Amino acid sequence: MLAYLVRRLAWGAVTVLGVLLFLFLLFFLITTPDDIARKALGEKAPASVLEQWKKNHGYDKPRFWNPQHPADTMLVEHFRRMLTFDFGRSDADDVPIAERLRRGAGPSLSLQVPLFVLSLGVAIALSLLVAFFRDTYIDRSGVVLCVLAMSISSVLYIVGGQYLIGKVLRWFPISGFDPSPEVIWRFLALPVLVGLVANVGSDVRFYRTVFLEETGRDYVRTARAKGCGEGRIMLHHVLRNALIPILTQVVISIPTLFLGSVLLESFFGIPGLGSITVDAINSNDFSTLRTVVYIGSLLFILGQILTDLAYTWADPRVRLE
Amino acid sequence: MRHARRGAARALLAALALPALFSCTNDPYPAADAGVKVLYQSFDEPPKTLDPQVAYSVNDHAVIGNVYDTLLEYHYLKRPYTLIPGLAEAVPEARSEGADVVYRFRLRPDLLFQDDPCFGLDGPDRRTRSVGAADAIFALERIADPQVNSPVLETFAKIRGLRAFGERLAARRAADPAFAAARIERQYAEAGPVEGLRRLGPLEFEIVLDEAYPQILYWFAMPFTAPVAWEAVAFYDGRGDRPSFAEHAVGTGPWRVAVYDKRSRIALERNPNWYGLRHPEWKAPGAVYPTEGEPDDAASGALDPARAGRPLPFLQRIEFRREKESIPAFTKFLQGYYDVSGIIKESFDRMVRGGELSPDMAARGMRLSKTVNPDVYYIGFNMDDPVVGAPGGDRARRLRQAMSLAIDSKEYLRLFLNGRGIPAQSPIPPGIYGYDADYRNPFRQVDLERAGALLREAGYPGGVDPKTGRPLHLTFDTGDTATEVLLAYQFFVNSWARLGLDVEIAATSYNQFQEKIRTGAFQVFLFGWVADYPDPENFLFLLWTPMGRSRNGGPNSANFSDPEYDRLFLEMRARSNDARRLELIREMRGIVERERPWIELFHRESYLLADGWVAPLKPPSMAVPTAKYLDVDPAQRERMRRAWNRPVTWPAWVLLGLAVAVIVPGVRTYLRERQ
Amino acid sequence: MEGYVVSNLLVAGLLALGIFAVWRASRSRLWRDAGRELVRRRPIALTAVGLFVLLGLMDAVAWVDPPATAAQLAAGDAIALRKPRSLLDRLFPPDFEERSYSAPLADVEFYGGRPLRHPGRHLLGTDILGRDVLHLTLKGARVALLVGGLTSLIVIPLALVFGVTAGYLGGGVDDAIFFVMSTLASIPSILLLIALVMALGRGPVQVCVALGVTGWVGFARIARGETLKLRELDYVQAARALGVSEPRIVLRHVIPNLMHLVVITFVILFSSFVLSEAVLSWLGLGIDGSWGQMIDQARNELSRDPIIVWNLAGASTGLFTLILAVNLVGDAVRDILDPRTLKERR
Repeated sequence: MLAYLVRRLAWGAVTVLGVLLFLFLLFFLITTPDDIARKALGEKAPASVLEQWKKNHGYDKPRFWNPQHPADTMLVEHFRRMLTFDFGRSDADDVPIAERLRRGAGPSLSLQVPLFVLSLGVAIALSLLVAFFRDTYIDRSGVVLCVLAMSISSVLYIVGGQYLIGKVLRWFPISGFDPSPEVIWRFLALPVLVGLVANVGSDVRFYRTVFLEETGRDYVRTARAKGCGEGRIMLHHVLRNALIPILTQVVISIPTLFLGSVLLESFFGIPGLGSITVDAINSNDFSTLRTVVYIGSLLFILGQILTDLAYTWADPRVRLE
Repeated sequence: MRHARRGAARALLAALALPALFSCTNDPYPAADAGVKVLYQSFDEPPKTLDPQVAYSVNDHAVIGNVYDTLLEYHYLKRPYTLIPGLAEAVPEARSEGADVVYRFRLRPDLLFQDDPCFGLDGPDRRTRSVGAADAIFALERIADPQVNSPVLETFAKIRGLRAFGERLAARRAADPAFAAARIERQYAEAGPVEGLRRLGPLEFEIVLDEAYPQILYWFAMPFTAPVAWEAVAFYDGRGDRPSFAEHAVGTGPWRVAVYDKRSRIALERNPNWYGLRHPEWKAPGAVYPTEGEPDDAASGALDPARAGRPLPFLQRIEFRREKESIPAFTKFLQGYYDVSGIIKESFDRMVRGGELSPDMAARGMRLSKTVNPDVYYIGFNMDDPVVGAPGGDRARRLRQAMSLAIDSKEYLRLFLNGRGIPAQSPIPPGIYGYDADYRNPFRQVDLERAGALLREAGYPGGVDPKTGRPLHLTFDTGDTATEVLLAYQFFVNSWARLGLDVEIAATSYNQFQEKIRTGAFQVFLFGWVADYPDPENFLFLLWTPMGRSRNGGPNSANFSDPEYDRLFLEMRARSNDARRLELIREMRGIVERERPWIELFHRESYLLADGWVAPLKPPSMAVPTAKYLDVDPAQRERMRRAWNRPVTWPAWVLLGLAVAVIVPGVRTYLRERQ
Repeated sequence: MEGYVVSNLLVAGLLALGIFAVWRASRSRLWRDAGRELVRRRPIALTAVGLFVLLGLMDAVAWVDPPATAAQLAAGDAIALRKPRSLLDRLFPPDFEERSYSAPLADVEFYGGRPLRHPGRHLLGTDILGRDVLHLTLKGARVALLVGGLTSLIVIPLALVFGVTAGYLGGGVDDAIFFVMSTLASIPSILLLIALVMALGRGPVQVCVALGVTGWVGFARIARGETLKLRELDYVQAARALGVSEPRIVLRHVIPNLMHLVVITFVILFSSFVLSEAVLSWLGLGIDGSWGQMIDQARNELSRDPIIVWNLAGASTGLFTLILAVNLVGDAVRDILDPRTLKERR
């Protein structure tokens, strides 16, 4: 087990390095530091200010190769900074990126956690229901509804939800955010509801196949032959055995909850990491974008490792490679 | 089995009944603020910087203008804009010293900065200190400091020795690391003094200009010249957990920043150190609501005795909430959660009928005020381009004239701006000296026939370039790829297509566009300019040769260059508003009319909506801080909000019923089958 | 070369490829049966997909009319006449435009009530620039097919090459390819997509490339896994023992056995690409003329007063119908070709 853990972590570390290299190639080969500096400082900034700015942001070094000091290149600097979590300052407005991301994590989590828990609950409940009534009209219409729901663009859900629930029915504020506990739920209700509806189609379809897969297995037939009630089979046997694929889904998603949702956050004005990403796009803030992508990958890799571990823990039959 | 069924059904019911379980409200604010005089406003883009010497955008000034007081201010009601003293005791007069022009400023006594930990640099437990001439001079010196990167150095370089000061500073910093590491006020003291900034006493100083430039006084009503404490600049250096000076304001104005979470919320609260609150007995012009204004101000309620002559400010707090999307922001305004708002074009027809507020909006107690902005939007030609610019000579001039004749500003305004604006005939907008309401630019009337004739004379009959045998191909460059913007550009392209010209929209990223502009690799573009101060010089300099974009990086993006125009400009700039100045402006207008470096499109008109609980206000047409003059009635606001926001809950119950109706028969069928 | 000529050649190429594929497939009983079964199960969805393909192809074939007459030039549509018009454009009159919004089948403009040039003939009304919404919606099919179809047509062979190479050769090549794949797979896809479009710049080719880079890994992984399995199978081993050359083994024995996966992946990628483009459009990074862009443009119209819905309705119906049809066909294809090995993937 320990050897496996070490190997898994080592592979994760190698992947992180790969991501960093990819980001470097993507962002430093295509835009030049001069462009970024000009954009940040405006057209009239004198050359000395530009140089100073590039120096402050670490953009003044050779990219790959420095004959005098082989370690003094942007490539090395990029890896050093990212690996030590020293993200520096935003290209657009000089705010420390780490500080900005810290601020964004709270709002993102406060949207994502309820959305995640509710989505999971609703999707499992509905898919159990559909699987329970398999081959009846509930199942058939349920599947059709799922495909219908999946075929609608998520943008449309947001637009429709804001228009209908925010504007026509006036249940919740259309958008905005305030972290004080008294009012926070009012702002979260609508995006959570919209997110829930937008996800539920594909979620239900996924869990339904998981459950149906299980109901086809021998132990279910045995239980049924023993005269076990259908509801009992669903809850006690099928659900328990389906926990592993569900767990896989859950564990891999947990770290990425920090990342928030690009679409929901920016449309509902929630100042989380998704919003920060969109702001970075709009202001050509490459350093922030780079950092967000890096952090996202880091969390994702973490999620994968955790999943693998959870998997071996939950099902000892899984062979440790 | 029964157990399971109930569990699943319960989960489903809970999910569907979710909205109904909460006592629904769409009120985005805490209940504690309901009775407080808070003004709620929205903003779309966060301020780029709070550094008064750097900030140049409307969003920056919405915060800074209220936090940093300036030496001079604009009268709240009088139009054309009139300067009144702010932190200064009086508006200075120009005095000649040989060829030099001198202005003497005297600050009010006993002015204080807002309380801030940065004054701990002066001694332990110090929270504030008095404002003096040194702070005003420090601010002016900062403009020249290359590290500050102020956008207005060009203007203030007319102060003798200011530019040289900046160069000395840069040179010493480069040569001596110890100097560069020293505290900012030591650096300035060692690199100074500036010849044109004379400190005469703790409260008095003079500025010396090399040439006459009467417009300089307007700049003293803008935050660029607002006094700044060196302690704030030294303390807020962005190291450790201290924010940078660009993110933390230490001002002298009626408000101070209480919350600065710039991506979602900015809140301003009263600054108890403001002279208006500490010395109401002064009745200083900047601290009292004016008692006189324009003739229609009395009728509009802007001179209501409830406020006229009373000490400022009226509000307790100002809340800015971020709204990236205009539509939710406007919907919230209609729900009563923002107090003032512009009109988004999508809802214009519902709000305004025939130029007036629509009856159902008026019935809600709303008020509409309209002002023509001191701005000009124009399509410019790159005058360095061989096809459309000056190297193309007579041919290119006719081409520009023809293209100008094809654009229907009125139609554009109708389609894209709900008619909010007036077609422009020259660069100078209404309300600015030199604007002539009767002037009709012969090339700004739609006349396709004449345009076609001009194209033939230019050698492009029917728009066809004889060299290629195809329609003349031009590029219309833009740095904005938003769908909406491209639609607007398409309008112009379609207009020119009617002449047979094939204009292609070259939409690139902002960086690539700026690069094209910088290197002169562009042909046609669309820009707008909003006045910094109410003087024609601020518009006509956009075509002055030394402001050329490709050569000098100035705002003359058309790279227009005409020696006669330049000569007239210099004479016009130095004059005050007299008959000769008007004559000069007319002559310059004639050159622009003939040469057509621009197709003047329109001057925008802003429509401001205010709810009934907001005291009658006078909308500023420039980015001038007015928050201290505003007032609201929170009790009335609370009543109206309640009335307007009763949630409609029946659909939740219908949905719930529907879900039950679908599920129950299924369960029944199922039970029957299995039994 | 002019854009429309490239497009015409592309259509010709695609048609040839399609005919060849159908011909090859019809020679195998397995594929013939699968095709029949698909037609039996999903006649409507297949017809819908076929219609969209037809629309897309019609809009991709364009040509310029011979030089216009002087009278036409004088009438003011000289540019329109010199622009290439596609087969689809030719279903509509050449000047089928109004000045601004008009409601479906209306006789007058929506704002201001001026009479229209083509009263009562705009089935879905016109947009802010007076363009016919039905026309725009139909034209959107080409962009959707370009985004979904062309991208997957380019991505899948590449992924197949990488996956099969890695799986078949193993060793260092496998390690290198697996490393690249897991690196790309570790970046959350929406962020990867945004980062790519930001870095590459905006434009149809860039968006397609970004979508491709984001999409290829999943399939390459599956192809690699299947190849690993196939490599060990008896008949492959036998072929090797008989001295059949390696490339021949791959071409004859490995790739044909992956074809069902290719078909299923194509369907999945197609809809995910089209929906991703809609999200990109919403972020201002999409492709001109796509349904996503029309929706983005139309979302503001919902709060116009009186409300304007036909633009939104046109684009979202197009998007919804295509995705629904493809999803339905995809479900059926999966059931027919691969009842066991591929579960629902996300």
